[in-house]
Amino acid sequence: MAQAEIDKSTLGWKGVVRHLHLAPRAFLPMREVGELKLIAGIGIEGDRYKLGHEAGFYSHLPEEGRQITLCEIETLWALKRDYGIELSPAEHRRNVTVEGVPLNHLVGKQFWLGDTLIEGTRLSTPCRHIEELTGKAVFDPLVHRGGLNCKILEGGLVHTGDLVRSF
Amino acid sequence: MAATAITTVATVVKRIETAGRGIKYFILEDPDGWELPPAQPGAHIDVYLPGGLVRTYSLCNGPHIENRYEFAVKHEEAGRGGSTFLYNKVAVGDKLGVSLPRGGIRLPPNTRHILIAGGIGVTPFLSVASSLLHRGEPNFMLHVVARGELPLARLLAPLQARELARVYDTTGGRPDLRAMIGSAAPGIQVICSGPPGMLDAFGAATRDWPLNQLHIERFVPPPLVFDPDARPYTLVLARAGKTLEVPAGQSMLSAIAECGVQVPTSCGGGICGACRVRVLEGHPLHHDRFLSPVEREHNLLACVAGCADGRLVLDL
Repeated sequence: MAQAEIDKSTLGWKGVVRHLHLAPRAFLPMREVGELKLIAGIGIEGDRYKLGHEAGFYSHLPEEGRQITLCEIETLWALKRDYGIELSPAEHRRNVTVEGVPLNHLVGKQFWLGDTLIEGTRLSTPCRHIEELTGKAVFDPLVHRGGLNCKILEGGLVHTGDLVRSF
Repeated sequence: MAATAITTVATVVKRIETAGRGIKYFILEDPDGWELPPAQPGAHIDVYLPGGLVRTYSLCNGPHIENRYEFAVKHEEAGRGGSTFLYNKVAVGDKLGVSLPRGGIRLPPNTRHILIAGGIGVTPFLSVASSLLHRGEPNFMLHVVARGELPLARLLAPLQARELARVYDTTGGRPDLRAMIGSAAPGIQVICSGPPGMLDAFGAATRDWPLNQLHIERFVPPPLVFDPDARPYTLVLARAGKTLEVPAGQSMLSAIAECGVQVPTSCGGGICGACRVRVLEGHPLHHDRFLSPVEREHNLLACVAGCADGRLVLDL
């Protein structure tokens, strides 16, 4: 049966920034903050992966998608629901925890994070490093939903509670 | 870009105190005072020193003090150089790379903890005591057995004042270990940390105790016993693309080092976990006292592990 033609402009999503985190060096616990300062093409002020700072666990493997990383809060809920694992927004080590944002659909897409514009470069892969730091067996449960690596196209301040919208 | 991977936690020496004859107490912090990676009570860290020296020390501060790693170093004249370097060369303001904290002592609630320490072996119990006090559970007694001057006396004094610590000077003879331990009963956990002779005596005195109520903290790795059944085997280092023939009796770690591949190492006796390596193929003989049964499915400690069936492939 032929699919009915639909107006794709009526499809969409809208989300919100729930948590913001950063850490200045590899291994250090992520600290929750109320706002992040994004610098286009560079990274987050004060974060370990900011270009020119290079103090992160993966800084020897540079890629522009490490400028800012995102994770869905729905993933944390699913870890609890399906595996009984409590992983806090500080523990997944991504910078931004969002709600209502289909991160897996946004590779190669530009979208608004508050007033800043970012672009998904690839899905974040889970890493054994997180298991080492948290002592929680989250590697397998996070495969294919480890979040999104992004580059920053237009910088600015992002706050908790900001809207996340498609471009 | 950083040329090589960052493998240690960057710290700065904030303070050094004399804490008894031949003992210095080091306080490390993040360069910006950021919280450090969390630890369990009684956990230890590896300290990376110049020349590839790695030394393991118990953390003395309670884990609730999140921005510091504190540890005590006893200068061992006849040691392998690590304590001498820390004691004589390291100064306030120096940078030290350390590992993530490992291990620790399980402290179940509603339990009375009997802590028995020999000399500098008291260090993990300072962290345990601090943690229990912070939890509002001062249900413990720390027995410290030492010859002559008490190590870390300044840190022990508040516990002695609250009658949570008792000190025994062995100059006049050894105290009665069995009297300190008491009888096995539900809700009591006994933990011992000290030199090998004391651990042996503790083991003998607690032979009738349930294993889940005992914990032995080892500072010195137990002596390696040559395995008369050891066989030569083939070792493949997958990432390095190297294949080695390891003769019977040679340690895996030394075989790996000889071919130029670096594996961090510390205790050399299968108790600290620094030389943990992922196993890709084959069946190791473990011989360690560190990995859990689940961890053993995919890991080994290269300092003590052997091979069960002729060939092992490692993620190196």
